[in-house]
Amino acid sequence: MAKEKDTKPMANTVIGSSIVIDGEITAEESLTILGTVKGKISVAQNLAVEAGATVEADVEAQTVTVNGRLTGNVVARERLELKPEAKMVGDAKSPRIVIADGAGFKGNVDMDV
Amino acid sequence: MADKETVIGSDTRISGEVRGEEDLVVRGRIDGKIQLTQTLTVEKGATVQADLDVGHLVVLGAVVGTIVASESVKLMSTARVVGDLASPRLTMEAGAAYRGRVDMGDIAAARAAASSRAVQRPAVSEKPAIRPAPPRMATLAKAIVATKASAPVAPAAARSTVTPSASVPAPASPPAFPRVAGAMGAMTPAWAKKKIRRR
Repeated sequence: MAKEKDTKPMANTVIGSSIVIDGEITAEESLTILGTVKGKISVAQNLAVEAGATVEADVEAQTVTVNGRLTGNVVARERLELKPEAKMVGDAKSPRIVIADGAGFKGNVDMDV
Repeated sequence: MADKETVIGSDTRISGEVRGEEDLVVRGRIDGKIQLTQTLTVEKGATVQADLDVGHLVVLGAVVGTIVASESVKLMSTARVVGDLASPRLTMEAGAAYRGRVDMGDIAAARAAASSRAVQRPAVSEKPAIRPAPPRMATLAKAIVATKASAPVAPAAARSTVTPSASVPAPASPPAFPRVAGAMGAMTPAWAKKKIRRR
């Protein structure tokens, strides 16, 4: 069942721009955030924090792509990418980290070296 | 307004509070509280265990919690819903399972009542198993049948388990309706007792 979904490029869960979530999100699929999430996020696949989104949460995911505002500690099992509009405050732990020109970042980096 | 609708995918679970001003489609699970000005759709296979304050509500899956919809509620044929419901418009398809009270009157009052109740009780402490709603009459009938069989014994037995020495007042003051009292006290769970008493 889950394998069928893997072929879809679209995220399975989308948090829209006017949505505010206070609590814990656990997803065995991809998650795209355009709104606001506070609390804790655990994603089995890709987490995308889009431009305009605000996340104040500890995050764990396979890959994390940030183009919005993210406050909290991030563990990306595979890859963390901060796009040009990203503003991130918190510790980042990931074997691969990409920070684009223009992105803001404050915190520790742990690449397990 | 929203360029993208919000979708909670089938393998996603949220526990906490969700607020928003756009349409929300749940295919996975939400526990806690949902406050939405637009349409909440609970898809088939989805479970929402939350107090809802929404504009429109469309249910194809399972919902447990107090429902306040300022516009309308639609329970489709696959819906399974437990909880009091307040909405000016209500549509229920054949096959929908529902247990609770319906109020199609003053929504503002219902919302106030729901929110005050939500404050009093813990949000998601208990997790009632989702099962096909048992008809209320069946529970009642079962209780009555059971009491008929053991009516004279039940009150005394119940008392003796609490205080064995209380044999003196036992025969002196039997309740006015021993059968009913026995049914309520011994057989019926607390929530059902409340419902029965209201009738």
